Amino acid sequence: MKNSFQNIQAFLEKRLEKRPSGWDMFSKEMVSTFLRAFDESSKVVWVSCYTFPMELLRAFDVIPFDFEIACNILPTAVGGNGSSIMISAEKEGYSRDICSFYRLALGAHSQGILPKGDLFLTSSNYCNGKSKTNEILASYQGKESVLFDLPNEISKSSIKYVSSQLQEISNKLENLTGEKLDPDRLREAIRWSNRARSSYQEVNQLMKTKPCPWDGYKACLLGISGCLFWGSPLRDKINQMLISEMKERIQSGKLFPENYRILWFPWVPVQQTNIFTMLKENKINVVMVEAARVYWSEIDESDPFEGLALKALQDPHLGKADKRLKAILELTKEHEVDGVIHFSTPACRHENGSTRLIRDAMRNEGIAFLNLDGDMTDERSYFPEQTMAKLSSFLEIFRK
Amino acid sequence: MNGFNNNFRKKRIGWLCSYVPAEIVIAAGLEPVRIQGQVEMVKEADSYMSLNNCPYLKNILDSGLQNKFKNLEGIVFTNSCDGMRRLYDIWTHHVQMPFSHMLEIPKKKDGNAIRYFSEQLHGLKTTLEKVFEVNISDDKLEKAIGLMNEHRKIIIKLFERQKESPPPYKGSELLALCLEEMTRPKDETTEKIKNVLERVEPPKSLKDKSPRILVMGNVIDKLNLFQMVEAVGASVVAFDTCLGLRHYSGAVEEGQDPIESIARRYLLKPSCARVPGFNERIERVEQLIQDYSVDGIIYSTGKFCDYAMFEAPVVERRLQNRQFPFLILENDYIWGDEGRVRTRIEAFVEMIKGDLN
Repeated sequence: MKNSFQNIQAFLEKRLEKRPSGWDMFSKEMVSTFLRAFDESSKVVWVSCYTFPMELLRAFDVIPFDFEIACNILPTAVGGNGSSIMISAEKEGYSRDICSFYRLALGAHSQGILPKGDLFLTSSNYCNGKSKTNEILASYQGKESVLFDLPNEISKSSIKYVSSQLQEISNKLENLTGEKLDPDRLREAIRWSNRARSSYQEVNQLMKTKPCPWDGYKACLLGISGCLFWGSPLRDKINQMLISEMKERIQSGKLFPENYRILWFPWVPVQQTNIFTMLKENKINVVMVEAARVYWSEIDESDPFEGLALKALQDPHLGKADKRLKAILELTKEHEVDGVIHFSTPACRHENGSTRLIRDAMRNEGIAFLNLDGDMTDERSYFPEQTMAKLSSFLEIFRK
Repeated sequence: MNGFNNNFRKKRIGWLCSYVPAEIVIAAGLEPVRIQGQVEMVKEADSYMSLNNCPYLKNILDSGLQNKFKNLEGIVFTNSCDGMRRLYDIWTHHVQMPFSHMLEIPKKKDGNAIRYFSEQLHGLKTTLEKVFEVNISDDKLEKAIGLMNEHRKIIIKLFERQKESPPPYKGSELLALCLEEMTRPKDETTEKIKNVLERVEPPKSLKDKSPRILVMGNVIDKLNLFQMVEAVGASVVAFDTCLGLRHYSGAVEEGQDPIESIARRYLLKPSCARVPGFNERIERVEQLIQDYSVDGIIYSTGKFCDYAMFEAPVVERRLQNRQFPFLILENDYIWGDEGRVRTRIEAFVEMIKGDLN
């Protein structure tokens, strides 16, 4: 992992020297952050960045390492052959019915390519597999695994329950780093987070332009992996760069031709597929992704723990599917899409369990819906011909 | 007209997870009923849930879609797992049932979690009071706590007897009794359990040297597995599942704030794989091996259960380090592939017999 990341970092640095770009800046900083986790002197906190309020970590001198995101860069590094890593986990008894993201992480551990962690944080929302993997990986390293337990409802008592956990985690971070939490530093992280939230809204606003001035695939990756930088000035900087690039494209008219507009959810495959090439060939733009939606309100810096608890609880993947449905429908209207694609990875049970409800809701609104099966990262479970056949049928709906 | 079914002596409320406190339902004058899948073959549910979802939950959904739970007034769901959360979503959209409630159960068990769970239980109490137009007083809660503690005590005594050699009861007989206890009115089953407890002689089919099997895992509410084990001359001496030992372990403290005591008991009882802490669970298994003189373990789980798919290999590795026989068996809930499973059980039991001789 370390060597691959060093190569990616060097490649991106060169590219950035030639031409600054928000996307390259984000990718390079992400890889650099993960590389710092290999530094023996670093205090490394493994964390699910897209479900944990990263602003709290920013108040301490720790390096965040997200095993899901880091490991999903690996298939690219091994020529799209992620299964060569997953097999190590499967040999240890982990079923192929487990999400490929987690088999990848467990396999990477078996191959001894992951950095050490000092504290293993994860959250209960999104899926059951994430917290189990975190606990197993922590035990392999003989370190403490902490679950950030998020209820599926927002009330005074759930906010209190969640903020008390954040207080406990803060205490653990104090013990780990030997430094007391500096309230001013936490407030500063929250201020940066709020500022970046605002610039991110501007990014999404620009995505509404016709034709769309950015790439939905990248927007999805930024929506998830970009959470690594909430609370840091870098996130706002990346957003600002993306905003000026999009404005420039709009002004110059250098935009992808656009016959049809698509909303994509919940995640994009990180293995190589022919999906996006085919969409491009047919002038279909993914103009918005669910993962990019700003679902949380501004964080109250005067009460940081409660503010961060509320942000965590507002995650649309918590609670009834109706909450997500409503948000997805709003996105279809705001971004004036012609259809939606739901990418269904086999082991994503919390997500797939909502597919039928989402499909029905889309049909009721007269929005074309495609449920596209395919694994996120296990090339053994991706079938290009089948995918093409399904996509072709979907395109026919537009052409009619 | 409340739209509820009034044919039963008491209105019945279904539950699917061992963390739903029967005490509050009983105190509301309702009958808590563990619900089981009612269909042999899932048909409709496959178009609502993906193929890779838990077969137990799909069976429940299919049963609901086919109106097989018409004797229930409602169901208390829990956030036990991803599948259960999605079942609740689909249920509330597509299944006709007058009442359904989602009970939030923390995945932690410290003071903050107990406080939060107490508040959730107050919410359940208030909802039942409102929907069923009843009053759940502290006195009623105390009585229900007493009743459930008594039930648990007797069932645990039955399990305790299983430590003897040979064990006095067949595992399938015990499971059938637990199932009855969870699905029939409590006052009907109390005497029956006591009668079974009084029986001293083991069934003739159980021999002194039969391999002693511990079954662990999640939902096993069919007798097939246990009967297959027994058919090849082994005994299921205990089962630590959602319907077994861990469901009955631990009492609710009496004479304290009833809701808080209930919250404490349910969160602090031996945990299932949904809660962090597999080391604690492995220690429990090791203790059970010792207490019940276990010769081999069958870890049984429904297919696509993420918790089990992660945890079973961890437990297996730990026990295999000490050469302890361990078999992981996935099932489709109805045990439709019994022939294949039987072959694996036969081989497993033969291996243990070989070790014992």
